[in-house]
Amino acid sequence: MFRFRSTAVTRRAMHSWLLAAVFASVFTSAPDAGAAPAAGEPLYFGVSGPLTGQNAQYGAQWKAGFDLALEDINANGGINGRPLAYLFEDSQSDPRQAVAIAQKFVADPRILIELGDFSSTASMAASPIYQRAGLVQLGFTNSHPDYTKGGDFIWSPSISQADSQPLLAELAVKRVGLKRIAVLHLNTDWGRTSRDVFVKAAQERGAQVVASEGYQPDEKDFRSTLVRVRDAKPDGLVLISYYADGALIASQIRSTGIRLPVVAVGSVYSPKFIELGGAAVNGIATNTTFFPDEPRPEVQNFVKRFRAKYNREPDAFNAYAYDAVQIAAQALRSANTASDRKAVRDALAKIKDVPSVIFGKASFDTASRRVNGVRSVDLVVKDGKWAVWEKSVGVSTAAAN
Amino acid sequence: MNSFVDHTVNGLIVGNIYALLAVGLALIFGVSNLINFAHGSVYTVGAFIGWYAITRAQSPLWLTIVLVVAGSALLGMAIERIGLRPLAGKARIAPLLATIGISFVLDQVVQLIAGPDPRALPSPLPDWRVQLGGGTIGALDLLIAGIGLASATALYGFLRFTRLGWAVRATAQDRDAAQQMGVNIHAVNQSVFAIASALGGLSGLLVGMYYNNISPAMSFQATLKGVVAVVIGGVGNVPGAIAGSLLLGLTESYGVALFGTPYRNLFAFLLLVAILVWRPNGLFGGSKKLPPEPLTGTFIAPSRPLQLPKWAWAALIGALFVLPLVVNAPYLVQTLTNAWLYALLALSLTLVAGTVGQISLGHAGLLAIGAYTSALLALDAHVPVSFAIVLAGLITAVLGTLLVYPAFRLRGHYVSIATLSIGEIVALVILNWESLTHGPIGVTGIPPVQFSNRLIDAGPGFYCLALAAMLALALLQSRLLGTHLGRSLRAVRDDDVAARAHGLSANRYKALAFGFGGFAVGIAGALTAHLYSYINHETFTSQISILALTIVILGGMGNVAGAVIGAVALIGLPELFRITAEYRMLIYGAALLLLVRFRPQGLLGTH
Repeated sequence: MFRFRSTAVTRRAMHSWLLAAVFASVFTSAPDAGAAPAAGEPLYFGVSGPLTGQNAQYGAQWKAGFDLALEDINANGGINGRPLAYLFEDSQSDPRQAVAIAQKFVADPRILIELGDFSSTASMAASPIYQRAGLVQLGFTNSHPDYTKGGDFIWSPSISQADSQPLLAELAVKRVGLKRIAVLHLNTDWGRTSRDVFVKAAQERGAQVVASEGYQPDEKDFRSTLVRVRDAKPDGLVLISYYADGALIASQIRSTGIRLPVVAVGSVYSPKFIELGGAAVNGIATNTTFFPDEPRPEVQNFVKRFRAKYNREPDAFNAYAYDAVQIAAQALRSANTASDRKAVRDALAKIKDVPSVIFGKASFDTASRRVNGVRSVDLVVKDGKWAVWEKSVGVSTAAAN
Repeated sequence: MNSFVDHTVNGLIVGNIYALLAVGLALIFGVSNLINFAHGSVYTVGAFIGWYAITRAQSPLWLTIVLVVAGSALLGMAIERIGLRPLAGKARIAPLLATIGISFVLDQVVQLIAGPDPRALPSPLPDWRVQLGGGTIGALDLLIAGIGLASATALYGFLRFTRLGWAVRATAQDRDAAQQMGVNIHAVNQSVFAIASALGGLSGLLVGMYYNNISPAMSFQATLKGVVAVVIGGVGNVPGAIAGSLLLGLTESYGVALFGTPYRNLFAFLLLVAILVWRPNGLFGGSKKLPPEPLTGTFIAPSRPLQLPKWAWAALIGALFVLPLVVNAPYLVQTLTNAWLYALLALSLTLVAGTVGQISLGHAGLLAIGAYTSALLALDAHVPVSFAIVLAGLITAVLGTLLVYPAFRLRGHYVSIATLSIGEIVALVILNWESLTHGPIGVTGIPPVQFSNRLIDAGPGFYCLALAAMLALALLQSRLLGTHLGRSLRAVRDDDVAARAHGLSANRYKALAFGFGGFAVGIAGALTAHLYSYINHETFTSQISILALTIVILGGMGNVAGAVIGAVALIGLPELFRITAEYRMLIYGAALLLLVRFRPQGLLGTH
């Protein structure tokens, strides 16, 4: 196109070429956080996740989990002698930025595997790019039922709702003894999928679901919803919530005069749930895959070192992030490569029984590219602390004052 | 019946909380004629000042309130000094953009200092409760109502009986006349911002204590609900703002009672649109006519558009097309692809906002309509993708025009608020109309673009497709603007009355603009859907509408090339700032502020 133009044009064109080149170099450089130095060049995994914006808190929790895992891995020989490190790119959980980051990682030969994004909105928008380029996308919080259908490079060690919701139903129906359940769920892909599995599992166990209310993640006021729930005359509430909204619901339950047992899904397990919910969360039972007082060595090792490093209690998202890095590290060790991304994918299918805080021993089901089977502990908030649930403790109402 | 009482009480409790936010917004709106997008951020800052006072300094409640009020008032004065005063006499749209920039900066500063985690803000009030209907209300409910009423009364007295209050009202009525009468309008504006921000900060503290939950992410939702309440009550009308807030709370509560929780906000926004259409001054704004045309002359300042010679354009366009072939930088190509898609969005907005003067804040809704139309046509109706994209453009043009039609009789900020609500309504309908849109699960497995067996996925192919679509529409648009049609559209913007006197039907020209613009947005949405392969109701948030407006203002209202350059700048800058990690959005906000400060007419000027 330029050939027929005057020299001035070519200069102008040259100018924009130059600009493009400068632009490109700025865009493709920028290495980030590293790990404690070990022998040799580090191997990298990329992380696409929220460090700013509405979901920034989860990105911060991820980082804590990643850094702890890297300390552990790099102190113990790294990946076959080489240290492991990561590049964290802030996506704000925004699909537009997630696809740009995906292209960045795909083009960066150092990146051997990618972790994230946080929301399925962002992760699944980026999946086609990872799939086509042949870089594993390990979406460790993506429980959307269609997430791993993105292709054979799309894997997820997130807890399968098909596995965990029946456990919750078991607790709510069999052990707490609810017969007429009201479900409050986050109206997102996760909340909706969880609700559908839970309702089915509860019905199979002989309970009835008398109300089901989906709320938006940014909802703050649940009074009207709770009055609606009360009018359905349930004998107990089930919350499919994260800790922040779960705590909000719990503290508003008593101001609507509901005095019923409350059972919540495991994602409320966090020290923050008690901090935000105060006295209102006393008596709420949950069925969680992560509990720091569990005696298993994987859990105790994680919890002890987390407390020592950060001087606070770990929560489920810290544990998910920690586990994801352990799984990635195991795959990298097994693949034993510094450049072959396909070998990393093949290794994921082969690694068996990776020590895991959440799963105990994690292995992928090669057909679904998810980790099957989940163990869990029943917990209850007792006097402002998480305690193991026992029948004798009972699940009292949140309105126990 | 029992439940009816409970739902009423709940609605009033929530309305009570909205009222605290709305009063401050109404005050600024009334005097400075500005939607203060930073109000929610002041609310967040107030909550965090309160958190530090209560949990770190163990200060008693009265002292905490004093600290929060003082801190927020100072912040308000700073906002006026930085965001408003230097822009006096510039396009009135500039301060709006400045408040958006300030809110980015404030939210990010709070997050950097306090961390992104939500925190508990325990209330030091005694924990007693009164039975009311089936539920109870507590001491904090009464305190919030008390402070709401007291501040409204104090404000009323201040505006009615003090000299500064008279000055404030005089400035609100006619800024220039007030100045000629010797009123120091800067001092007035500063006082207004101080008072309004003090109220905003205080409401952050009280609402934080009420829910025992504060986080740096809470500001946008607060601004949104506050603005809705203000408009329902009638802008610049403090008692109206309180009544509007209570009505909003009641509507939400009854909406939930009748149809369930997912419909909560749908009713709030439908109420708003209904009120804007039937009583554009708000329920309590009196029956006087709309405020004298705020658009004329001052709202969009005309300036000389920057011109580039034709050969330069040709060279630039040529360079852009060959770029992905010579530079092997997929990240750069993807970022520019995103920029082209946003440029399509901005083209549409620069036409309706810049050329016709309808400042739309609901363009994300049109984007969503385009994306869902094309995705569902391709996936569920098995229409070939390339055909589905064009159909999506046409359907978005028709649906978008019909949806925005009720807003055509509105002017100035009212258009922005009506379109903002329409955008929210689209998202909520997508969430709730499950049989069509797959609801919260979203649409998965959207096929990529294909032309006669050639797959055009992310990368150079898709880049060229997006660039070509964008350039074609940009060329068409700039050609149109040079014709008689373009002059007619600008006439509608510059003087509605004069345009009508010359026989131009304003509504028809607005519909034409929305139709043409809707087509561009529809194409952008459709391309995005096929690029992402997965969309849900959260893919196109109202933040995108604000980003689109920012792009348009930055490029120069109504300037076609400006829309494209603005898109490249605002999509590219956050990517360039990646190296700064958590500081990225802070720098972005600051850059935005500087641009508004030194080039309020936009990079390329208004056409």
